[in-house]
Amino acid sequence: MTDAPPPAPPGRHDRPLAPAGGAQAVSELPVVTTYPLAFTGQAGEYFRIWIVNTALSIVTLGLYLPWARVRQRQYFYGHTWLDGQNFEYTASPVALLRGYLIVGAFFLAYSVTANFDSTLWIAGLIAVLFFGLYPWLVMKSLRFVAASTTYRGLRFRHHGKAGGAYLAYGLANVAAGLTGGLALPWAWFMQRRYQVQNAAYGNAHATFRGDVGDFYVIGLTGLAVGIGGGVLLALPLIALFFLLGGANFPEAGGETFTPGLVAGLVGAYLALLALYAVAWQYVRAATLRSVLNRVEVGGVVRTGATFSPWRLVWIGVSNALVQALTLGLATPWAAVRRARYVVQGVQVRAIASLDDFAADAAPSESALGEAATELLDINLGF
Amino acid sequence: MTLPAPDPLSLSGVFFDGRTSRDRAATLTVSAGEAQLRVDGGLETRWAVTQLRIDPPVPGVRRVLKFPDGSRFETADDASVTALEARTGRNRALGQVRRLETRWWTALGALALTLALAWGFVAYGIPALARGAAKATPRSVLATFDRETVQFLEDGGYLGSSRLSAARQAQLQTEFRRVTAWAGGGYPYRLLLRDGAPEDAPFQLGANAFALPNGTVVMTDQLVALARSDRELLGVLAHETGHVTHRHGLAGVYQGLGLTLLSVAVTGDLISAGTFAAAVPAALLRNGYSRAAETQADEGAGRYLMGTYGTTRPLRDILARLDREDRNADESSVRGGSRTEDLLQTHPGTAQRLRHLRDIEARGR
Ligand SMILES: [Zn+2]
Repeated sequence: MTDAPPPAPPGRHDRPLAPAGGAQAVSELPVVTTYPLAFTGQAGEYFRIWIVNTALSIVTLGLYLPWARVRQRQYFYGHTWLDGQNFEYTASPVALLRGYLIVGAFFLAYSVTANFDSTLWIAGLIAVLFFGLYPWLVMKSLRFVAASTTYRGLRFRHHGKAGGAYLAYGLANVAAGLTGGLALPWAWFMQRRYQVQNAAYGNAHATFRGDVGDFYVIGLTGLAVGIGGGVLLALPLIALFFLLGGANFPEAGGETFTPGLVAGLVGAYLALLALYAVAWQYVRAATLRSVLNRVEVGGVVRTGATFSPWRLVWIGVSNALVQALTLGLATPWAAVRRARYVVQGVQVRAIASLDDFAADAAPSESALGEAATELLDINLGF
Repeated sequence: MTLPAPDPLSLSGVFFDGRTSRDRAATLTVSAGEAQLRVDGGLETRWAVTQLRIDPPVPGVRRVLKFPDGSRFETADDASVTALEARTGRNRALGQVRRLETRWWTALGALALTLALAWGFVAYGIPALARGAAKATPRSVLATFDRETVQFLEDGGYLGSSRLSAARQAQLQTEFRRVTAWAGGGYPYRLLLRDGAPEDAPFQLGANAFALPNGTVVMTDQLVALARSDRELLGVLAHETGHVTHRHGLAGVYQGLGLTLLSVAVTGDLISAGTFAAAVPAALLRNGYSRAAETQADEGAGRYLMGTYGTTRPLRDILARLDREDRNADESSVRGGSRTEDLLQTHPGTAQRLRHLRDIEARGR
């Protein structure tokens, strides 16, 4: 090669990058290095950021909200470390604001028009539009989140196409509904595969090595938790209902609920919510762990997760309880607690140096999908 | 005009060229409008300070400076970057936000402000908005509401036909018209006398009376039986017409809607607002609004009884009897309830209501 000499002496980064699957071609046994992820965020520090940004959002009637979201996320990304370098969230608040305004306007229009018979068709139209665009919004959101994540000066990317999104988030969800949930784990599998398979760090593409069986095991475990817990809960609740349902409700005035019945109903409601939360949190946690154990990037890096799904369920449920008891003021503490546990339980195993990834052309991504998934809390699974 | 050149700033950190993931130790020296980047291994570049992009600061997070060619310099030396920002006038607004975020006293100030605004919104904002919305709701909507609720209660078997004699019913209807003439407001008032405990009712209403938004008042035979005089029943009916004229039923619906929106604001999205963490405080607040409405209705009923009989005693007696579930009880048999019990009730504690009615009587004399 007689090109102009490189500005820096040839270093590790000048070696050709091993393409996906190419690492196996090297005859000598690769040395595997494990890099644990670390989280350095502090609950007190994050509380200050959270409350100041919440107050600013309220005072500005919500206009500051995108800045608040970006700062809060920057805090978590910036405190997540891998091999001595931290991640970075680079989304533009202005782009997010535009997305929020569009989604908010549609939501407002829907809420208002759904109340009157004469305008019900507009609400219907918006609902149809939303369900029709849902997979596309998810795709936009995945692309935006990936493009907004930087590590070691290189951006992540998501190469997902609309076709794949309509298969994984449209068709698969419809199939799950039509089969009464039988195909739901398959839908999860399709969605996670779409997320991972299209992800890339720089020009190194990720591959998903999971199979649909993992998701059926997770789904069945979640179902067993739900049914088992339901049976255990039902017995005392039925007794309670008869005890209170048989009594009279002596109140002059608009309501027919005695404090006892209200407390009983609230208790039953909370118990069912807690059960649902446990089962669902288990599915989420186990899926996250399973997926992280089956991601490969560029053929040289694999991620692994050692956190316990059950411990994560406990963290999720106790977080929700503490948040409810503190009227939401413990939210920052809860977020830091969860992030710390998850991040500390994730490792990256590499057979090449993490220095050797190269950039890819990175087009800018629209924030509309991200705004929609965030405001409507569409669960992307991670 | 030229200021004396500030001392050069020297920052050490990491350099990324933006094309590979390789990190290289580097130092950045900024003096008089020029930034000189020295990367370990020899690379040296110069940029005009105006070409540097400095990412806004976030407490505890490494600072990032970006160069026009896509390369970047990251440093933990926040103090120097802050000094550079001050010199070049960058990130003024978000730097200010960062200052608020770094100190406990400003964070606690933000907390106090948030709590005050949330409290103000819950205590005054939502009720005022709900009142306004309830007033603006057209009568046709109210009529639909009444019709459908009565239909639901009758079809569902909650209410049966009254077992009172025709003469007794006619007498109560006449007395009800006296109350509605006093209440006014132009609502199509009607009194439905019904059996509150039909045999196969899924849910026993028992001794009860309630008002629907468009002036339909339902009173059960069981309540009529519990009363020792018609004055007591008129007190109850006056209370119910108060719910109608103040549009409490509709305001309650709107308050529920407002609380949902507030939950959305607090939890940050539309779905978690419907769950667990948001459900309990919302239920407590709803009960709070409901207690305020009861107090307002009692106020009206108290004034009606004072004007007609010069005493609020009849309503007090029947409230006490409802509370004790005892036909022979009167107001002296009611003890005060605890604070927490009070919080869970949709109506104020009976003891509290009796005190309120006694106060009205004392004021009226
Ligand atoms: Zn009432």
